[in-house]
Amino acid sequence: MTPLPLHPDARREFLAGCRDIAPVLVGTVPFGFVAGVAAVGAGMTPLQGIALSLFVFSGIAQLVVAQLVAVHSPVLVTIAAAFVVGLRFLMYSAALSPHLAHLPMRWRVPLTYLMTDQVFGMGVKRYGEAGGHGHRHWHLLGIGITLWAFWQASVVAGAMLGAQVPAAWSLDFVVTLSFLTILVPAVRTRADIAAAVVAGAAALLAAGLPYRLSLVVASLSGIVAGVVVEWRHRR
Amino acid sequence: MSDALVWLVIVGSGIVTFLMRASFILFADPRKFPHGFRVALAFVPPAVLAAIVLPGLVSPGGTVDLSLDNPRWIAGLVAIGIAFRIRNPLAAILAGMATLWALQALAG
Repeated sequence: MTPLPLHPDARREFLAGCRDIAPVLVGTVPFGFVAGVAAVGAGMTPLQGIALSLFVFSGIAQLVVAQLVAVHSPVLVTIAAAFVVGLRFLMYSAALSPHLAHLPMRWRVPLTYLMTDQVFGMGVKRYGEAGGHGHRHWHLLGIGITLWAFWQASVVAGAMLGAQVPAAWSLDFVVTLSFLTILVPAVRTRADIAAAVVAGAAALLAAGLPYRLSLVVASLSGIVAGVVVEWRHRR
Repeated sequence: MSDALVWLVIVGSGIVTFLMRASFILFADPRKFPHGFRVALAFVPPAVLAAIVLPGLVSPGGTVDLSLDNPRWIAGLVAIGIAFRIRNPLAAILAGMATLWALQALAG
C-alpha cells in the first residue's frame, strides 16, 4: 500500500505532471468541445456523447465514431474504425510497459485508461530524464488526471451548448492542429518521414473509399513505407 | 441508428480502445515479439497521425484544394514551422488558428 501521507517525491512528481501538461490544455479544451459538438451533431443525445467520451477517452476515436454514427454506418464498421485509429496505442503501450512493469494492477489499470498521445509523449520524456525513477508513475498520473478532467469538462460543455458556436470560428481546425503538434516531434528519421509522407498521400488518394477506410489504407501504406526505408538504410 | 445500437457502438469502441492501450502494459511483454513487429510498430504514430492531419490541411472540403480559397494548408504550414522550431504545442496551435482567422478575415 502507498503510505499516507504521500512521500514528498511522489507529491512533487504528481504536481510536476499537472504543471507540465498545462500548455497542452489550450489545445485540449477546444478539441474536447469540438468532440462534444460532433457527438451531438451526429445525432447522439448529450448523455451518449458524454458516455462515449468516458468510455473511449480518445479525441480522434470520438470524432471518427461520431462521423460514422452520423452517416448510419454499421456497428461493426464503426467499432473497426475506432480500432484502426487506436492502433497507435499499441505502440505507446509497448514503449511504456517496461516503465510500469513493477507496478501493481491498481496502478497499471488506471494508467492504461488514462494513456493518450500527450500523456505518452510527456510521460516517456520524464522517464528519459536523469534522477530516481521510484515515483515517476506519479508524474504520469498527474498528467493523465489533469488532462482527463479538462477533456471531460470540455466534452460536456460541447455536448450541452455546442450548437451556439458560430461556424466562422472554425473550431474544428483545432483538431487538425492538435494532431499536427504530436506528428511533428514524432517524425525524426528518414524512415519516419517516408511513413508520414506516404500515409498522407495515400489518405488523399483513397479519400473516396466508404466508411473512412482511407484511414486504414493510408496508415498501413505509411507503416510499410517506413519499414522499407528502415531496412534499406540498415543494409 | 437506433438508441440501442448507438450504446453498442459507445461500449464497443470503449472496449476496443482500452484493449489496445492495455495490450503491452497489462497483457504482453513487448520484448517477446519479433523484431519486425516492433520496427513496424514504431511507424504507427507518424503514419496514422499524417493520415489524419494531411487531409485536414489540404482537403477540408473533401477534395484537394491548394489554392488561396483554402486557408487551412497555409495555416498548417505556419503551425508546422512553429512546432518544428520551438517545440511548443501551445504556440503552434495558437499560430495556426491565428493564421486561419486572419486569412478568413482577409478573404471576407
